[in-house]
Amino acid sequence: MTDAALALHINGQSRRFASVPDAERLLDTLRWRAGLKGTKEGCRTGDCGACTVLVGGEPTLSCLLLSREVGDEPVTTIEGVAAVPIGQAVIKAFAEAGAVQCGYCTPGFVVALAAQLGRSKSPPDVESLVDGLEGNLCRCTGYRAIERAVALARKAVQ
Amino acid sequence: MSSLVAHRKAINRRPVGVRVSFQLVQPATPEEAVRLLAGASAGQMSVLGGGTDLLIDIDQARASPRQVLSLRKMPWRYLRWEGSSLVVGSTLPLRTLELDRRVQQQLPGLWEAIRDVGSPALRARATLGGNVGRCSPASDLLPMLIALDARVRILGPSGVREHPVDLVLQESRKTNLGPAELIESLIFPSAAPSTYMWQRVQPVNDISQVGVATAYLPDAPHWRIALGGLQPRARRLSEAEAVLRSARPTHLEQELAAQEAARRAEFVSDKRATESYRRRLVAVMVRRALQTTIDRMPRPAAARKPSR
Repeated sequence: MTDAALALHINGQSRRFASVPDAERLLDTLRWRAGLKGTKEGCRTGDCGACTVLVGGEPTLSCLLLSREVGDEPVTTIEGVAAVPIGQAVIKAFAEAGAVQCGYCTPGFVVALAAQLGRSKSPPDVESLVDGLEGNLCRCTGYRAIERAVALARKAVQ
Repeated sequence: MSSLVAHRKAINRRPVGVRVSFQLVQPATPEEAVRLLAGASAGQMSVLGGGTDLLIDIDQARASPRQVLSLRKMPWRYLRWEGSSLVVGSTLPLRTLELDRRVQQQLPGLWEAIRDVGSPALRARATLGGNVGRCSPASDLLPMLIALDARVRILGPSGVREHPVDLVLQESRKTNLGPAELIESLIFPSAAPSTYMWQRVQPVNDISQVGVATAYLPDAPHWRIALGGLQPRARRLSEAEAVLRSARPTHLEQELAAQEAARRAEFVSDKRATESYRRRLVAVMVRRALQTTIDRMPRPAAARKPSR
């Protein structure tokens, strides 16, 4: 089995990793090679959304994506999202609304919501923003606080 | 205490990629892909589309291919209308179809079925070709593809062939594709009033207990009904279709078709629902899906209210 080097474009930087196995998932490359531990491993079967990152600007499950399949597409993790104003607004909204309890699912929520808010100049209504988070599971909050955070974040970026 | 520190260190240095191992091949052209598949020994090479099904199977040791052939570089990420028929490249992400207004308007049932697959982030990778190629009994798309009479364009060593999806699907993880054949595109022959409905224990992150797809096609025999949630795969219910004789069947005809569907469907009992519960569901859902499809038909000109 070949463990060739792999180059990825992560959070605006070109990163190169030596000997990456072909079967490695983007989630593992990010956490264990790039040291970006903000992206979480939840179910590893595409159900929970904790591992959501942006690939080519689109929310994508990094647990179900081979690192070698990413190619030239830019990858943005929660660390990258947290560095831009929209990401910061979303994070602030989550904190203010009390939408974080254990916090494990939060990076996935923030990435998925920031992507939606960044897509167009006038953000979609709260309902469709919440719909866009259907793939993110939270076992703590009961979602009400997250819905409040969505409304707050939407207001903040308007 | 020191053992806890050692344990934490071990976690933080967890070796990656040790669970499974395979060689990934990324051919640049369809011809090269077919050649590679033809040269591989039987059962050793799996085809990777979006990976939302295959990679889970590999993780859970239900599949252990030595080589995985990636379709990433295939020029099949397209969607185009040819008259009223829609041609979708097999590796186009479902998300692109979902965001297409014309798909939503002209093939509403297909749009609904796509929306019911996983989450937006999952649909950013999942593909139509993968759904057909993997032939999962859990797929919400397959009943709708059958109801819409989708054609599968297959590329292989001896050229291209095209078949109705119903003939390509066999059982879970099994199609009639040859070992060196690939799905190039899917063709939806015509726009059609159509509906997809499902019933689940939980609305998200669950497999449908029953899926019902109905469509009214412009060509005879017009009405098509297909069911999902049964073993070994989604299937068409021609006996129930035969009851429907016009574009706007009466309530009695709809009820008879629903009863016929419930009688003919071969369900099994599993952890999601019993066989008899599924049967009850089918009767109700077929009736509702038919009514919704009728409501989606363009109104005849004479019935339109005069505009002010």
